[in-house]
Amino acid sequence: MKIAVCIKRVPDMESRFKIAANGVSIDETGLKFDISDFDAYAVEVALQINEKAGSGETTVICLGPDVVQETIRKALSMGADKGVQLKADSVPADSLAIAKALAAELKDGGYELILFGKHSLDAMTGGAGTMVAELLGLPCLTAASKLEISGSKAVARRELEGAAEMLEFPLPAVVTIDEGIARPRYPSLKGIMAAKKKPLEVKGAQLGEVRVIVEKMELPAERPPGRIIGTGPDAVPELVRLLQTEAKVL
Amino acid sequence: MSAERVLFVFVLIVAAGFFSLNVQRLVQYLRRGRDDHRLDHPARRLWNVLRIGIAQAKILRDPVAGPMHAGIFWGFLVLTAGTVELIVQGIVPGFTYARFLPRPVYLAYSASQDAFAALVLAAVAFAFFRRLVLHPRRLDGDKTHHGDAYFILGMIGGLMVTLLAMFAFDGAANPGALGPEKFVSRPLAALLAGVAPATAASVAHTSWWLHVLLVLFFLNYLPYSKHLHVVTSLFNVFFSNTSGPGQKGVMKAMDLEADVEQFGANDVAQLTWKNLLDGYSCTECGRCTAACPANITGKPLSPRKVVINTRQRLMESVGGLPLVQEHAATAVDERHLLDDYITEDELWACTSCRACVQECPVSIDQLEIINEMRRYLVLSESRFPEELQPAFESMERNGSPWAFSPADRGKWAEGLDIPTMAEAFAAGRRPQVLYWVGCMGSFDDRAKKTTVAFARILKACGIDFAILGQEESCHGDPARRMGNEYLYQMLARNAIETLDRYQVRTIVTACPHCFHQLGNEFPQLGGMYEVIHHSTFIERLLEEGRVPLQTEEGQALTVAYHDSCYLGRYNDVYDAPRETIRRALPIAKLVEPERSRDRGLCCGAGGGRMWMEERTGKRINAERTEELLATGADTIAVACPFCMTMMADSVKSREADARVVDIAEVVADRLAPG
Ligand code: SF4
Ligand code: SF4
Repeated sequence: MKIAVCIKRVPDMESRFKIAANGVSIDETGLKFDISDFDAYAVEVALQINEKAGSGETTVICLGPDVVQETIRKALSMGADKGVQLKADSVPADSLAIAKALAAELKDGGYELILFGKHSLDAMTGGAGTMVAELLGLPCLTAASKLEISGSKAVARRELEGAAEMLEFPLPAVVTIDEGIARPRYPSLKGIMAAKKKPLEVKGAQLGEVRVIVEKMELPAERPPGRIIGTGPDAVPELVRLLQTEAKVL
Repeated sequence: MSAERVLFVFVLIVAAGFFSLNVQRLVQYLRRGRDDHRLDHPARRLWNVLRIGIAQAKILRDPVAGPMHAGIFWGFLVLTAGTVELIVQGIVPGFTYARFLPRPVYLAYSASQDAFAALVLAAVAFAFFRRLVLHPRRLDGDKTHHGDAYFILGMIGGLMVTLLAMFAFDGAANPGALGPEKFVSRPLAALLAGVAPATAASVAHTSWWLHVLLVLFFLNYLPYSKHLHVVTSLFNVFFSNTSGPGQKGVMKAMDLEADVEQFGANDVAQLTWKNLLDGYSCTECGRCTAACPANITGKPLSPRKVVINTRQRLMESVGGLPLVQEHAATAVDERHLLDDYITEDELWACTSCRACVQECPVSIDQLEIINEMRRYLVLSESRFPEELQPAFESMERNGSPWAFSPADRGKWAEGLDIPTMAEAFAAGRRPQVLYWVGCMGSFDDRAKKTTVAFARILKACGIDFAILGQEESCHGDPARRMGNEYLYQMLARNAIETLDRYQVRTIVTACPHCFHQLGNEFPQLGGMYEVIHHSTFIERLLEEGRVPLQTEEGQALTVAYHDSCYLGRYNDVYDAPRETIRRALPIAKLVEPERSRDRGLCCGAGGGRMWMEERTGKRINAERTEELLATGADTIAVACPFCMTMMADSVKSREADARVVDIAEVVADRLAPG
């Protein structure tokens, strides 16, 4: 089946972040980037569906400057067949602007399934997937933890608080993927070599109007360091007092 | 020419012809393997042949089987001269070396034949006794060919009996012909005094026939048996990994740009011809497996089986030798060394400790085969224990096999007034020594204490050094050992770039893995540095009297030092860490566990095992800790952060009353205040 997976390039979350001089973005020097985790799950889901079917084609689409080609190659090295870069100088903060660019690309692609991660690891808006579905007039299912395809129908599972639900929907559709659905494979060197020869098309991104912008970015307040107020039973009264007056949890 | 001579020459030609045909075949089969250049360091190779081959240095590591085998081997060498004489006699009747050898030399030769025939016979008898009565455990398992062993021993015994019978009956037929130099056959001949000379002569002649026929049969039996090592082992030793300083256990760089179908080996054709020659040379003695920490603790790995399987699969894939065709020719192409003979689990159980390589008397490199197959699993199929994926990903993203932020790498040094290379260069200084801290030393809480201890020593001795701080990044050795050569080369090149940017020449490190990788494997990728392990570095400082030590004599510890594989068997550093303890704390009593120095048992963390679960059998670190504690030591000393973790974990889990310390901590504790 023809599957499109929309992926995003994000910084490694273990990094120590700094705010850039402009005050509205993070300082990228020294940061390592990779495909966003949920997007990697989505790629894995697509690959497994097509492997199970024994045929099909997986296209990965990524919006951003030329550095995202590295991210696309990573997905290709996992086994995706084709890549498309929607070229833009930067990735805007406005999900709708992004969704419009993606929808323009996806519209005539003949895809039966369009996958997203449930949200990106950096911005965490989770907006693009649902908006693309709306723009294309397709059914949309978010945060799937399981996905079975049978003919022109699909069944997905969603985890709820203390329960789970199964939903059936017709294809084509847009599905956003939750973690745990399938462990993204580690590309073999064979895969990496093959990826170098796979097609990667570069097109200008037809971004929508950007109405949401970042005004200011801040690091979370530093947590005050822990304090040792004493040891043994003698310290209990002071602990209780602090829990009441300072931490206000009692 | 007499009919008998014609018959003999015919038999000789057939036997020699069949043998050389099979040798040709075996050589041809080797060509199925990959090319591998094995003629560098010729002097060292010859030396290895003399020391390991002729002098049987490694064989003699076993105090029981060693002398027995050496006896048979040396006897074999000496008696071969006699065999040649006997065979020539078949063509030129009455031929003897006496014709052209000076008399004393001939007498000595003649005596040697008697002496070694008796010696070999005794060794064979002992070998039977050992196998049947003593029953050493290492000879069992892995479907070894016991029958083959008895058959061969029987044949060697038969050769000696026919030889001595020939001498003795010859003596009985020609009274007075045997001089005193025939000190074994003369008394035997005396016992036969009652036999009629004509009868004795014909028995002697029959013995000659039996003897030479047995020799020729033995020769032709070799290619079909594990005793092929008789022919191949000297060559195998010559072509083995050279084992000079800094050459042990070095993994060769792969050409990752090569336009090949697959990377690494899943079958014999992707192994090198030398790996295949290893297969021919294995004697199934089991010394490797008996020393293997994985095998000892009940894991599915047996290095002997890896080698036996390599030969079996090679023979299967080529259809064996004439008369003994192995398996039907069908489906052979669908089978592979990996999976059909050697399982993934076996390969991942290896700690790359090199104990097997160290023990093998014929210099087989079992580990090379294991590593090539791991490379296949990771690079071609991306097949590995799932715990490894986060380690790979973290190395790629964070430059460390653990998910720590690269920004925190230099955190241990905060407030210690230790410059980074960047800071030193900015201040216009170029430190003489780089302290490469390593990932464990930078991030692991316990290892950080060693790091600080070593830094304190460096400072106390006034060493002009710096660290890389945030700019340090994993050199990729764990990835390489786990088969991920691609990731390794990426990380190694990156590290070399950083080191060269600061024109680093001398590196010290407290981690044997960093030490081995930076010093012995980086040269493959153009990184040339003098790398010194902290044990050697501190020992030198102590020897030069540069370490300001306290004057009090300190605590009278009983210390058992645990040898790190990458320091010991990979780099022959055994004395420096022990000497460091002795010099820094002379009052300490050093005790040795049963397995120590080049026989030391691995801690269980090498070869990427650090990142894998240990699900089967006994834990290797438990086995090792028990042994160390059995010495009565109150302190276990290590010189490796990996060993530290493994030993400390195990000591803690058994709530033993012992401390695990790094040798640097022993010294740092002894630094004079101020
Ligand atoms: S290197 Fe060590 S663990 Fe691996 S097979 Fe050899 S002896 Fe066993
Ligand atoms: S590989 Fe070497 S040590 Fe192991 S069984 Fe064979 S000959 Fe013996």
